[in-house]
Amino acid sequence: MSGGYRQQPGGAGKTTRKDGKRVAGKQAFPPPGSGGSKPKMAPRDLDYIPEMVGGKEAQPAGAHIHDRARTGTTVGKPTALVDSNAKVTGQAWYGDDVRLSNEVIGKILRSPHHYAKIKSIDTSKVEALPGVLAVATGADSPHQFGVLPVTKDEHAMAVEKVRHVGDLVACVAAVDEATAMAALNLFEVEYEVLEPVFDPKKGLEDTDEPIHWRGKYHLARTNVQKRVFQEFGDRSLVEKPLASSHGKWNMAGVHHGFTEPHAVVAHWDPNGRLQLYTPQQVPHYTHRALATVLDVPMHQINVIRTFVGGGFGGKSDPFPHEMCAAILSRKSGRPVRITFDREEVYWINRGRHPSHIEVKMTADEEARISGFDIDALIDGGGFASFGHVTSYYNGVLATAPYELGSFHYTGARVWTNKPASGAMRGHGAVNTRCAVEVGLDEMSEQLKVDPIDLRLANLLPPHSRTISGFRITSNGMREALEKVREGSDWDNKFRQMPLGKGIGIGCGFFISGSGLPIHWDPNRFPHATVHIQVDMDGGVTVHTGAADIGQGSTTAVAQVVAEVLALPLEMIHVRSHESDTSPVDLGSYSSRVTFMNANAAIRAALEIREQLLKAAWEVLGYHPNNLVLNDRRIYYKHDPAIGISYLKALHKAQEDKGALIASGAYRSPPMGGVHKGAAAGLAPAYSFSAYVAEVDVDVETGLIKCTNVWAAHDCGKALNPLAVKGQIIGSCHMGLGQVLSEKMVYGRTGHLQNPNLLEYKIPSVHEMPHVEPIIIESCDPEGPFGAKEAGEGPLLPILPAVVNAVYDAIGIRLRDLPLTPDVVFKGIEKGMKAAGVDDPLDLESPRVEHGDLQPILVKRAAEHKTRDRSRQRSEDTSPYVNGVLFGFDPNLPLEDQVEGWRMATEPDPEQLAALGLAGKAWLKKEQRHMGGDE
Amino acid sequence: MMLMPPFTLHHPTSVDAACELAAQLMGAGEAFDWVAGGTDLLPNYKWHINPKPHVISLAKIGGTSTISGSEMGCMVRLADITEENGAHPVVVQAASKVASSLVRTNATLGGNLCLDTRCFWYNQGEDWRRSIDWCHKADCGTGADCRVIPNQNTLCVATYQGDIAPTLMVLGASVHLIGPNGARTLPIESFYQLDGMKKNVLEEGEFLLKVTLPEDAATRTGSYQKLRVRDSWDFPEAGVAASWVAGDPSSLRIATTALESIPRTHPEQVEEVLKPGWEGVDSVKALSTAVQKSVKPVNNTALPPRYRRSMVRVLTKRAVQGLLE
Repeated sequence: MSGGYRQQPGGAGKTTRKDGKRVAGKQAFPPPGSGGSKPKMAPRDLDYIPEMVGGKEAQPAGAHIHDRARTGTTVGKPTALVDSNAKVTGQAWYGDDVRLSNEVIGKILRSPHHYAKIKSIDTSKVEALPGVLAVATGADSPHQFGVLPVTKDEHAMAVEKVRHVGDLVACVAAVDEATAMAALNLFEVEYEVLEPVFDPKKGLEDTDEPIHWRGKYHLARTNVQKRVFQEFGDRSLVEKPLASSHGKWNMAGVHHGFTEPHAVVAHWDPNGRLQLYTPQQVPHYTHRALATVLDVPMHQINVIRTFVGGGFGGKSDPFPHEMCAAILSRKSGRPVRITFDREEVYWINRGRHPSHIEVKMTADEEARISGFDIDALIDGGGFASFGHVTSYYNGVLATAPYELGSFHYTGARVWTNKPASGAMRGHGAVNTRCAVEVGLDEMSEQLKVDPIDLRLANLLPPHSRTISGFRITSNGMREALEKVREGSDWDNKFRQMPLGKGIGIGCGFFISGSGLPIHWDPNRFPHATVHIQVDMDGGVTVHTGAADIGQGSTTAVAQVVAEVLALPLEMIHVRSHESDTSPVDLGSYSSRVTFMNANAAIRAALEIREQLLKAAWEVLGYHPNNLVLNDRRIYYKHDPAIGISYLKALHKAQEDKGALIASGAYRSPPMGGVHKGAAAGLAPAYSFSAYVAEVDVDVETGLIKCTNVWAAHDCGKALNPLAVKGQIIGSCHMGLGQVLSEKMVYGRTGHLQNPNLLEYKIPSVHEMPHVEPIIIESCDPEGPFGAKEAGEGPLLPILPAVVNAVYDAIGIRLRDLPLTPDVVFKGIEKGMKAAGVDDPLDLESPRVEHGDLQPILVKRAAEHKTRDRSRQRSEDTSPYVNGVLFGFDPNLPLEDQVEGWRMATEPDPEQLAALGLAGKAWLKKEQRHMGGDE
Repeated sequence: MMLMPPFTLHHPTSVDAACELAAQLMGAGEAFDWVAGGTDLLPNYKWHINPKPHVISLAKIGGTSTISGSEMGCMVRLADITEENGAHPVVVQAASKVASSLVRTNATLGGNLCLDTRCFWYNQGEDWRRSIDWCHKADCGTGADCRVIPNQNTLCVATYQGDIAPTLMVLGASVHLIGPNGARTLPIESFYQLDGMKKNVLEEGEFLLKVTLPEDAATRTGSYQKLRVRDSWDFPEAGVAASWVAGDPSSLRIATTALESIPRTHPEQVEEVLKPGWEGVDSVKALSTAVQKSVKPVNNTALPPRYRRSMVRVLTKRAVQGLLE
């Protein structure tokens, strides 16, 4: 390349002639410091540099450890997602967009029975069909898998029995789709039909043929997959309540309703390695499961995450069809593509559990919450999926944001012959949260106090511990409540509007990243790792395994790296699609990505930054402490004229070693209790939210229209306010679906009656209220730049806010979700009967007159506000445990505070008789305790 | 993926050619369907619900898209009805409530009137229907029973969920049918036939060419009330249309849809209530109750039949509200 094209640092010499034309064969390498669309350095944006480090960004919640790494580049600025261009131009490649040469089509034979033994499968006719290239059945994949190591109960295809209509029986690969579909009709399967179980209550009973068998750990002969018992606190407090609420809820199962159906392409490359393309939230789990099922070491598999057209928890299991594609591809020697139709999407399901939830709660004479008593029976469908965790979350995620006198929870998840339930946005917390928040509304009515004041006077402060031992760090609950109260003009509306118009409040509390990495010990391996590489061109390549499922995780990682290095966003290139190139990451679930991945990315970026500053030091002679990093330039802080370009500093740093490389990892601190199940619900930080919803109820038809929502969410620090607002509005939409119209309908025959997007009623744009997103920034001490989650928590409060608003509108408590018009109408009919009126228009809406407790609560809330503020800003660093409100000494262990303090994970024998519906699972014994053989 | 079963698409350009083609196919013993906008037929085809080897499109037949206060062709798109094109206001009301704006751009008047009846045991994919061992309406040669009303396979109770038919009924419209055996015109009430499979009186090879409205329709005013969960996409769970000549309660006509296998008018109930004369609110109440009592929805749509029936009272009340003004 002598004398011709040169591309190397230091400029390309003379590439232009005196007349300004380009010298033939010479191409300008961009001048040092370039990168990004603007040639000149931008001035420092002080509005986005914290006041603690000399900027103008207010920090009401105090300083943060990452403040010094702020450069005012992108954090806190509304930023379009970095992959949005690909999406809006149609160039994003989703699962079904992958086309490999020579590919064939895979189709899955599905069970027509709810529950049956497979006696035989004859594939001879299928194999004889011209165009069929491979056939596989359960016999081809005896290994079990599942997303949680403790409950691996799935096969690629049914091995012995089918467990629900639509369960996978066999699969076939053929030259085209028509042939594959024709082939499905040629399988000859002989079934022995078994008695199915649909009602989760029946699942608690012994049966001849439990849906799964867990050997010595199986609970008698029931279909109980998991039972939980937790009791904390002083149970004597609940005995003489001033107010109480007792509600029995029936919540239908809901599905994520993502746009993109599941699709997978599997291909064994010429070297015999599996390349699997799939829209996955947790590619790493798929990676592990594939290795198990296929009997291939993990390093011989490359999982390529395509763009994900929506996940919401519905693409966070390793799926049997992914295994099928790999098996068919191995057998046929051709790439195999399987794409689901919508019906198959509903059959693989993993949506929110249909739930029977019973909540009893009490308040004492000072309107303190003396007890929560929760019982949750959840319908798991045919497989375990994430259910082990869901069984805990239904209880433990109700232990905050309120200070409780005692907490009692019994939960059970049962297998039924329906598509498997799993994780869905707000995993496990949504249904109980709704029940709890409605209960508080009911109690506030008995106490004759405002429900917002009741909440404000019972909140746990920042830097405290919940009754079950969760460590709360930052906490913006109070501010969220205050903001929505003010924004909605609550004090002039609540209990004051005419019949049919109502307003309601609901709060939320959610984990910001599960504290326990499912597959390994958090004390030995990090939760997340990020690699950064900066080569001569100055572009920064970030390798991460975080799965962008539309939530903007790629953007968040790019943003924090750009922020630390003071580079324009377009110079950061995030590579996150392939397991071959990305460090192991647990994936996108439990709202962990921003917190854990961005933290890891900041660490890696800080390492690069250090190398750059060191190089600048060598050139400029000023110590890094006196250097400023700003938009592609490093300079002396007292004289910006003395400085060097980013690229020059980079090249200096690269002398003798080439590309800069750094690795950063995130590990959660040790935390939590030691009791059984203590890790469930444990997180390095928690998000808080409060919503006020306004509804119009047509009292004649029961149709509810949600008109306005004021939605305040504490995400610690909005790295990208645009994305946070999007998450809040999107969560509102999804939650509204669950509370108003969405349900998986199982008819009298147990079939899922509405596996399509016409009859599964996701709200349309017409049903969408005006949502006013309000971002609360409590600045989490351990979050990246103070950030916490915003992806799931914002969904929780909308359900109770709407249910409470409906009560405010028509004076009727409804506890069957969704509140479809027929359910509301039934309630209205009952209400009419009770009120003795013939016309629903004659119903009276509830009114409130505040009692003596109201001023007491207002006073207490004001005191707590002062307390919370100084704790939030770390001016007060004394310990605080749940119970201080009840007179506890925060320096003593909880169990030493009062006599009769309980911390139990199993019921006492004398408690058994009084346990709720799910609690009945504790009447059964595990096989190993039953004597006799297993 | 949902693969469309293969079929031959025919594009006749005149009514005569269409009839001739139909006759030819009938002669050859080949089954076929008519298609207009395709928003009803093609989704069903993708679900492999009674697909046929031939489909005759009406889209290229000239003169089928006329709209006026007195005549509307079968190929009139619903979106065109909702624009200011001179269609009767009550029809406009109903048309603007059909499905979504996207669907209305394609969907046609003819298609809406000839809409296939719907049922959640029927509007499902093939694997799903296999899992219930098929149903009477699409029995795949098994002679399967009805799944809504078990133990019978003589009557299909799938629900007619079109929005526009009841409004045309209360305006006294006529439908013009044409086929290889000639043309005929009949009042729209007689067009529908009580059976979820037969649906209407169209003979094999016959199709609905246009709808005409009598002259007095222009003097009529009225309303169409639709019950649905969402204000977009959803088929009616119940629908009530009413029309009257302004200031003349005795001219009242009421029709309902989405409650049975056919839409229908309720002359007996109206007559009964109006016999003693118009008594304002009391008459409205009596009418609403009478219409409610005369319908018998079954459990095959999104909302339970008991609720849908209760709502007929409210919808009727709201539909005739204008009479009180």
